[in-house]
Amino acid sequence: MMERRFDRFVRFGIALAFAAHAVAAAAQAPPIQPPPTPPPPTMSAAAESIYASARPGLLQIRTLVEAAGRQSSIGSGFLVSADGLAVTNYHVVSQYALEPKTYRLEFARPDGTQGALKLLAIDVANDLAIVRLEGANLPHLSFDDAALANTSPRGERLYAMGNPLDLGFTIVEGTYNGFVEKSYNPRIHFTGAINPGMSGGPAVTAAGNVAGINVAKRLDGELVSFLVPAGKAAALLARAQTDAPLDLSHARDEMDRQLLAWQADFYHALGEQGFRSAALGPYQAPESAAPWFNCWARTNADQTPKPRAQLDSTSCSSQSSLFIAEDIETGRAELSHAYVRSVDLNPFQFAAFVSQYYGAAGMIRSWSRKRLTQPECHEDFVEHGEGPAGPVLRTVWCARAYRDFAGIYDVAITTVTQDREKEALVSRLSMQGVSYDNAVTLAQRFVGEIAWAK
Amino acid sequence: MGEVMTSPHAENAIWVEILSRLHDVATRYRCAVLPITVGRAYDNDIVVDDPHVAAHHLRIHRADDGTLMVEDLGSLNGLYVDRERERRTEVALDAEHDLRIGATILRVRSTAHEVPAELPMVRGLPYWPAAIACIVGVFALAALDLWLSETGEPKAIRYFTPLLILTVVVCVWTTGWSVLTRVFTGHARFGLHFLVVAAGLLAYSIYDQVAEIGAFAWSWTSLATTSYVIAWLLLGAICFAHLVAINRARRPLKIAIACILAAAGIAMQTLKQREYRSTYGQPTTLNRLEPPALRLVAPQHDAAFFTDSTALRTTLDKARTVEPESGDASGENDSDD
Repeated sequence: MMERRFDRFVRFGIALAFAAHAVAAAAQAPPIQPPPTPPPPTMSAAAESIYASARPGLLQIRTLVEAAGRQSSIGSGFLVSADGLAVTNYHVVSQYALEPKTYRLEFARPDGTQGALKLLAIDVANDLAIVRLEGANLPHLSFDDAALANTSPRGERLYAMGNPLDLGFTIVEGTYNGFVEKSYNPRIHFTGAINPGMSGGPAVTAAGNVAGINVAKRLDGELVSFLVPAGKAAALLARAQTDAPLDLSHARDEMDRQLLAWQADFYHALGEQGFRSAALGPYQAPESAAPWFNCWARTNADQTPKPRAQLDSTSCSSQSSLFIAEDIETGRAELSHAYVRSVDLNPFQFAAFVSQYYGAAGMIRSWSRKRLTQPECHEDFVEHGEGPAGPVLRTVWCARAYRDFAGIYDVAITTVTQDREKEALVSRLSMQGVSYDNAVTLAQRFVGEIAWAK
Repeated sequence: MGEVMTSPHAENAIWVEILSRLHDVATRYRCAVLPITVGRAYDNDIVVDDPHVAAHHLRIHRADDGTLMVEDLGSLNGLYVDRERERRTEVALDAEHDLRIGATILRVRSTAHEVPAELPMVRGLPYWPAAIACIVGVFALAALDLWLSETGEPKAIRYFTPLLILTVVVCVWTTGWSVLTRVFTGHARFGLHFLVVAAGLLAYSIYDQVAEIGAFAWSWTSLATTSYVIAWLLLGAICFAHLVAINRARRPLKIAIACILAAAGIAMQTLKQREYRSTYGQPTTLNRLEPPALRLVAPQHDAAFFTDSTALRTTLDKARTVEPESGDASGENDSDD
């Protein structure tokens, strides 16, 4: 809340300053011509030569519907070895990886040559894939040493390449802004225009070496784009060169294995980082101490008409989303607390008010019957067996399984304190893509920490 | 009456009654001299204006032993007794069974036929006080429920609209049954029907509240999620009561109608819930909490709660291997299981 207000204030200040300046300039007559500044020739010249040298190694990667022979999605990629190994994003080839009988992969090079692609390896957590095209002595790009060592200087110029919106191969100049601080999966913050279709393309340094792989952008900002660090691609490449290629008929098993390994690390780290207690009225409730959570607060105090129960909530969600397919994402965890107190509701009305936050049962995001089972829930009144003294909690546990992957679930647990008639704390922990055991362990810990404030 | 007593043929006279389809007497002819004939032609003793009746259809006479007999005079459409399908040529008459010729129903009774004792006159409207008490209870509960779930800005329209709808539904429903009763029996019995619907609604309102609070108090979610079953059973019972209020005949048929109605309603709603759940993946949980003071069960220890939560895993693992139901034709096979 503080951060948002501060942010708003700063922007407002800048806008005022600009307006004042413009008025002052208009009052002067005649307008003074700014001194001619020659364009920096080195920059565009650099981009020109970088594009010229990198271009032969670029690929457009198309997913075609087998039956129709037409493209259903496009992305980019780049060659990394003379014998035809290329790097792209997992999400560029995900349709093919999940449904190899329905789709096939094809590449198109800037010189117009086309051909079939073989999918060798995937890394779902880092959104990477290695593909191979037939050929020898192919032009290719290499990885940047500073990027591999994570020593790239902030502000370094990077050049993202790819084929945006199927318009043709493009080079985009931008700036390296270090790693995204709150992202669990390492991502480079690249300030430059990455557009759909450029996914999987390289972002290279001025020397023409790959520092990252184009992967995503924020829709609510300008030029806020993300790259997968080169080191992750180099590691997957090394694995693809030594290991047996991905068995497409069992691609889901491989993804399942990767998701299980990912969630084991993620939820272990979440537990390791521990919880810190936040005071909410007469209660204390756990908030994650992990750094990769984005937290927002909300209140209904300023609503009109004046709310009959005041609600102050905080909601923290982890920046750890994993793309699986168009209709399913996973990998996020959310902790939220809402402290509600009656203004002029009687106990029954207050219970009805609180029910709004209990009833939804807290499953994150939309549901797809193709991807997820129907949720199953268990609810009861719960009291602490051990740990700090706390109120009786009305608790509901809801879980649903992923149809494609064994042993992975979405789980949400919601609790409502039951010790006061006109005050309550509604707490929720939602976990996506979690193993059942991890979910139970973490939820048990979460519930155990909901207590009366000391 | 005196005329009958003094007539020399009083013992032998008969009444031929033409009945409506609802077995009310439409016209009644006194015939002192037998035999008589019945038919469409004007030379009959009793003329019946039914195109399916022969010109000379029946002959009614007294047999040697004094029994009243009726015989078919060779008509095309024949002579039947009651609802029987077997055609008769000659029938010995008693006072209870009807005769069917063409589309006309006849009953023949002798003047010696005994009538049941006089019924006492029912004074006043015995159903109204009870019905009004019930409907006041229904409205009070509905208003209370609306008030207790009022969490936003209080607005009169929130109470007015549902209560108005309830009023209109009760009026239309009661009127409908009364009209039906009037058609079949000649009496509307509005008060009785009103009592039936008011009592039924009161029973449902009470059950609904008890189920909602009980589901919370005993932590028994299915009490609330399956309350529609009781609602349909009650609707079946209400319809049965209405049917009995019309008349007391054919009780098994009416029970069957009520059961079919309730079963169809329950099946429909169960299917609809299933479909909704499988389309939107909505979990089934309690959707209304009550004040903590209403809790009647002891809380579980958290370890026990999580043991129970872990048990859901088996169900989920089984569900993930079952192909999801789809909206196309193949889904219809699945919906039967």
